[in-house]
Amino acid sequence: MRTFLATTLIVIAGLLILWISTDGGRAYTVEEARRLEVRENPRPIPNWRLQNQDSEMIALHDFRNQFIVIDFFYTSCPSVCLILGSSLKELQKDFSSELEKNNLKLISISFDPEKDTPQKLREYLSHFSANLKYWMAARPTSSSQKEAILDFFKVIVIPDEYGGYTHSAGYHVIDRTGRLVAIFGIEQLNELKEYLTQSLNKEHVQQD
Amino acid sequence: MFNKIKREWLLLAAFVALALPPLRQFLEQSMVTHMLVQIPILAIIGWMIGKSLPANWKNKIASWNQWGITGMALAIVIMTYWMLPRALDAAISEWYFELIKFITIFIMGMSLSLSWPLLHPIAQGVFKLEFWATFMRLGWLYLDLPDRLCANYLLSDQRILGQLLLLGGSAWAIAWVFRIMFGTKIINT
Repeated sequence: MRTFLATTLIVIAGLLILWISTDGGRAYTVEEARRLEVRENPRPIPNWRLQNQDSEMIALHDFRNQFIVIDFFYTSCPSVCLILGSSLKELQKDFSSELEKNNLKLISISFDPEKDTPQKLREYLSHFSANLKYWMAARPTSSSQKEAILDFFKVIVIPDEYGGYTHSAGYHVIDRTGRLVAIFGIEQLNELKEYLTQSLNKEHVQQD
Repeated sequence: MFNKIKREWLLLAAFVALALPPLRQFLEQSMVTHMLVQIPILAIIGWMIGKSLPANWKNKIASWNQWGITGMALAIVIMTYWMLPRALDAAISEWYFELIKFITIFIMGMSLSLSWPLLHPIAQGVFKLEFWATFMRLGWLYLDLPDRLCANYLLSDQRILGQLLLLGGSAWAIAWVFRIMFGTKIINT
């Protein structure tokens, strides 16, 4: 009887713990968890001031009333950032009219500010034939700011075996009110496009 | 008596050494040593402490743990939890998850040692097979997944872990085959 009671208690408590710690069976990895969390609780981004490819200071709140897609990268990245970059290039083409109307901005933020000088950022952008009016690259101005940004987006960066970095890669969507509302993985480019199309259209309907 | 106390102190010292930054950080640098060295050693320390508990404590626990069922349930819950990639990442980035990991894995080892001998031989067989299958499944999964499961570990690390799990599982299977066919006991399983 005691055994039965204790076992039942342990099994129920165990299932409850597993249920809670996977957000109800919806997130088993940190990456899934951060995507889910943002969807359920969008959070306002602080007004960080970053240095862009032309050595100008930009503030994230400068782009209020536009959607922003942010990706994180470093210019000497050999693999995943190149996919991110070419995907942003695709966005630049597909959403050219929205970009032109200042409804959307693309920002690539470097997490390797020591090496990624404005010069390097410019080269990176030109490699993807970025139109600098629509797509800019920027770097944090201090390492504490860099940590704060990575922390806010829950991007984890670890050094890899080739002297570079492995990092959480994705597209981070900021809405017109300056809230981080969605994160898409690198494999979810189509979902990202759909999401942007829908959000941008919805806003138009509301304005009419 | 003296020897017994001495052994427990040694185990405790090993536990503390694992918890201190140099060794802890060293073992947690890679997914392989985190999962195949640190966690198993913590469990083994728990197992050995469990073995050397005083007999009257063991009897008290055993009345709540008939046929080892309660202890196995507890061990399985703990094991399942730490198999969540999220949990392993959390242990690296948050100190309180790390603390929970050290305590619960220790408890897992202890409850295994108190429950395993009480288990029916058939149940033991089923569990062994299931542990082995978990090795093989995870090994195959880690080897095959194109994405990283843990944000704190490299894909290459995950692949090596997969290979080692498959290798370990295969070695275990071979040991079983030898035992069944020739009666040779390579390892005590």
